[in-house]
Amino acid sequence: MGRILLVGRLALRDLRRRRTEAALLLIAILAATTTLTLGLVLRDAASDPYQSTRAATNGPDVVANFPSADRLEKLVSAAGVTDHSGPYPVSAAKLQTSGRTSDVQAVGRDAAPVSVDQPKVIQGSWVSDGGVVVEAAFANALALRIGDTVTLAGRSFTVVGEAVTAAMPPYPGSSCLVDRGCGRGLDPDEKAPAGLLLKPGLVWLTQADARSLTSDPASRAFVLNLKLADPTQAPAFVDTNIAASLVGTNPGDGGHPVGLQSWQEILNDATELARDSQILLLIGAWLLGLLAVASLSVLVGGRMADQTRRVGLLKAVGGTPSLVAAVMLAEYLLLAVVAAAAGLAIGALSAPLLAESSSGLVGSAGTPALTWSTVALVTAVALAVAVLATAVPAVRGARSSTVSALADAARPPRRTGWLIAVSTRLPVPLLLAVRAAARRPRRVVLAVLSIAVTVSGIYVLLVLNAVLGTPTLTGRYSEAQLDVLRHVLLVWTVILLILAAVNAVVLTWATVLDNRHASALARALGATPQEVTVALAAAQVLPALIGAVLGVFPGGFGLFAAIMAITGGEGDRATLPSLWQLLTLVLATVLVVAALTAVPARLGGRRPVTETL
Amino acid sequence: MSEAADTPVLCVRGLRKEYGKGEGLVRAVDGVDLDIGAGETVAIMGPSGCGKSTLLHLLGGLDRPSGGEVLLNGRRTDNLSEKALARMRRTDVGFVFQSFQLMEELTAVENVELSALLAGRSPRAARRRAEGLLDQLGLADRARFLPSALSGGQRQRVAVARALSNEPLVVLADEPTGNLDSAATMDVLQLFEELHESGQTLVIVTHDARIAATADRMFSMRDGALVDETRLTGGTTGQLGALVGLED
Amino acid sequence: MQQEVVLAMLAKEPSHGYQLRERLRDALGPLGEALNAGQVYVTLTRLEKAGLLAVERSADGADRSDRKVYVLTPKGQQRVAEWIAEVAWPRPDLAEFHLKLIAAAAAGLADPLTIVDTQRRELLRRLRDAQRAAMAEPERSNAALLLEGIVLRLQADLLWLEACEKNWTHRRSGS
Repeated sequence: MGRILLVGRLALRDLRRRRTEAALLLIAILAATTTLTLGLVLRDAASDPYQSTRAATNGPDVVANFPSADRLEKLVSAAGVTDHSGPYPVSAAKLQTSGRTSDVQAVGRDAAPVSVDQPKVIQGSWVSDGGVVVEAAFANALALRIGDTVTLAGRSFTVVGEAVTAAMPPYPGSSCLVDRGCGRGLDPDEKAPAGLLLKPGLVWLTQADARSLTSDPASRAFVLNLKLADPTQAPAFVDTNIAASLVGTNPGDGGHPVGLQSWQEILNDATELARDSQILLLIGAWLLGLLAVASLSVLVGGRMADQTRRVGLLKAVGGTPSLVAAVMLAEYLLLAVVAAAAGLAIGALSAPLLAESSSGLVGSAGTPALTWSTVALVTAVALAVAVLATAVPAVRGARSSTVSALADAARPPRRTGWLIAVSTRLPVPLLLAVRAAARRPRRVVLAVLSIAVTVSGIYVLLVLNAVLGTPTLTGRYSEAQLDVLRHVLLVWTVILLILAAVNAVVLTWATVLDNRHASALARALGATPQEVTVALAAAQVLPALIGAVLGVFPGGFGLFAAIMAITGGEGDRATLPSLWQLLTLVLATVLVVAALTAVPARLGGRRPVTETL
Repeated sequence: MSEAADTPVLCVRGLRKEYGKGEGLVRAVDGVDLDIGAGETVAIMGPSGCGKSTLLHLLGGLDRPSGGEVLLNGRRTDNLSEKALARMRRTDVGFVFQSFQLMEELTAVENVELSALLAGRSPRAARRRAEGLLDQLGLADRARFLPSALSGGQRQRVAVARALSNEPLVVLADEPTGNLDSAATMDVLQLFEELHESGQTLVIVTHDARIAATADRMFSMRDGALVDETRLTGGTTGQLGALVGLED
Repeated sequence: MQQEVVLAMLAKEPSHGYQLRERLRDALGPLGEALNAGQVYVTLTRLEKAGLLAVERSADGADRSDRKVYVLTPKGQQRVAEWIAEVAWPRPDLAEFHLKLIAAAAAGLADPLTIVDTQRRELLRRLRDAQRAAMAEPERSNAALLLEGIVLRLQADLLWLEACEKNWTHRRSGS
């Protein structure tokens, strides 16, 4: 017990002494944990509102639709069915409000509540003659308010209420109940047959009103809500009965089976947006995790000399190698735990802003709760990041002999003979830059990687941003939902850029500090301060250039392909960024890195020579 | 104060370097006048902290004076920009430091050619010059060795070769034997004698009497000022044999 | 010329006077140049009188000093053996200078610092000469070794003179 306290005290004292470094490390891990939390919370948040809606409205386990009511009646007595409501008439019509027109499916309901699928009225009242109740998300999209007058199939109705239901996904999702067929929206490739319902909204009328809307058989159908003894068996029920209905197709049925949908399918459709945002966030989180590992490696590795001597001192006063390693790891694990806690808090608090996809579900405006599994996963990731980046130096430091650790001033620089020979042909600033980079190859690799990761992220952002603007997606999501996706993209791009910027500055500082002696010597031998400044900056800019190119290809390209594979999205429809855009991206990256490294480089180039030599 | 040669290579007037202000004012160099002729070897001796290293840095343009003038070959160097000073250090001045200041990851010849490369010579010319110098200094067989594989005396010789690389007007040496043992010191002494014979102007800062004794003129420095001058050329009062004390 | 040195030079074999001088010059290098020829012969005569040396007649029977062949007597051999085994070391003779400074200061004869400075200059010049001579010698020759010793001694003396200077400056400012 005493040892643990000792380790803890030593670790805390050390962190307090090195506040800036601790803060930077914290930011790095925090970025990863926040994004990861957001992603996980959204995933949990997605299903909750739907579940709440299901509970509040006694949502059906299976929804069936068919042009004639008799066929549906047969399902009421199918195996496993315990309760039902309907069949209710459905009519497809055009709804007109001031300036906007939309297709709708109007379901005729009774004023009296039923035991399966009683939509919950969140504003106004339930169906009455001459009155129409609009599905909440649809009402939002059309900016409909209680008391507005709308025209349905030429007849005037008054909006008397807004309600939510679990029997159908919220607008602009929908289940297609009529034979006319439904489409998602303007898709240039899809040859839309005439008469297709485009993004139909859901409204409720009295049964009489619904039946009287239209007489076109293709626009009329019936819908039946079923409750099963075992809700989890809903997909199986659907499969069995679709097969059965296929076999028993009667002539005069129009030759097609009963439409059946399980509640799990509806859940899927309802939570599409949240799922997509969640995927984006998760991918962003992994990217940030990689960047965090890179930053940590730089920050930790850069202080290796310091660590080594500290290790030596600890050992010289009797610390065993295990104690030494324990103290070092304890510091970073401490930071990781703090970062995990902070990330969880920030993520949980900001998730509602992103999860607010539509008002079509009960309970979607609340704070998504943190589940234990989320907490555990985020903490584990934070610890893993810390351990990954610091385990190697910690173990190496602990293993080194005490004498060499005490005597050691710093890691000796690497010698790369051919690079040195090549550099002689370059102008002075590049000569110094190449040699500075060659001295620490691992740092160069880190710099390249961190830029590559950042640029990959931006590449994907460019593609997704373009995709969000195309009609394909505007068909799937409403404007508000598209905004949400854009916000999500913005969130992780901003975090990505901040982390990358921090990385660049830290790496430059590390290079400047590491090259203090070499720079002073070069200046004593006749290099001008400008040449040294340019050299120190170039030592960062050159790897950035390589990183940017790698980030575009194969980096961004591969990342986008991965995202599409995971989300199962229509990757082939996405337009990849043009060559000009990519060249601009690479150029912009290089310029930004140059700007970020200018200050540390200039300070390094102007340091008085006599101090260092 | 001191007799100047025909055209002094290095001319110093009223040189001052101060740090801090008010109560905490430290005069590292306090009004130094000095003339050094071409081909002369001048030694500056003094206890540690007397400002001799600072004086050397000022002479070589590594530091800026607080007052006074430094003229190198008749041109003022104390009012040059950093860039011009750097250029001056390339072509007119060569430095030899106490701790050698070699780049650990470069071989001997790469260390020596660095000077020429920074001055803009072609890689081939720089390499040729470096190899020639190392040959002259007896290190031809060690040219491809890293500094860690060389003895102290050899390392300092590489440093001297580097200082000579661009044919400087004057070589400034700061405690060149400070980190060397007796044998290596003899080695460097020999080297400085050879340099002297070849006509190189040398200014050496040291607290080792043996190094100082190789000079033509020797100055004592105390508290930032030159307090004494000894002309060492010119015979001793007695024969060498008197040193041995063989007579009764 | 120390007597024991001459005796020891004869320990290997009997020699003529001039052979002796050769050996000495060889061992002393450039410092041996200043060796007075007469000194050697004076010492040889003294040693003969003291019974540590004996003279063998040379082949041609002439009585010239440089043709005499000198040889160690048993007493002489014993003396040499004792000398070789001795660990006596030449004393540093600093007391004289030290007293010179004190006397000058006390009697107001001269400024001690000036005395120290002048002496320093002289020693530096000697150091320079000795160093030059050392560098002219081939490495590891007898003379080079001797000269190194001289150089080191002079260096030590110079260090002491520096201390004297510091001390006497302090005394002056303190008094």
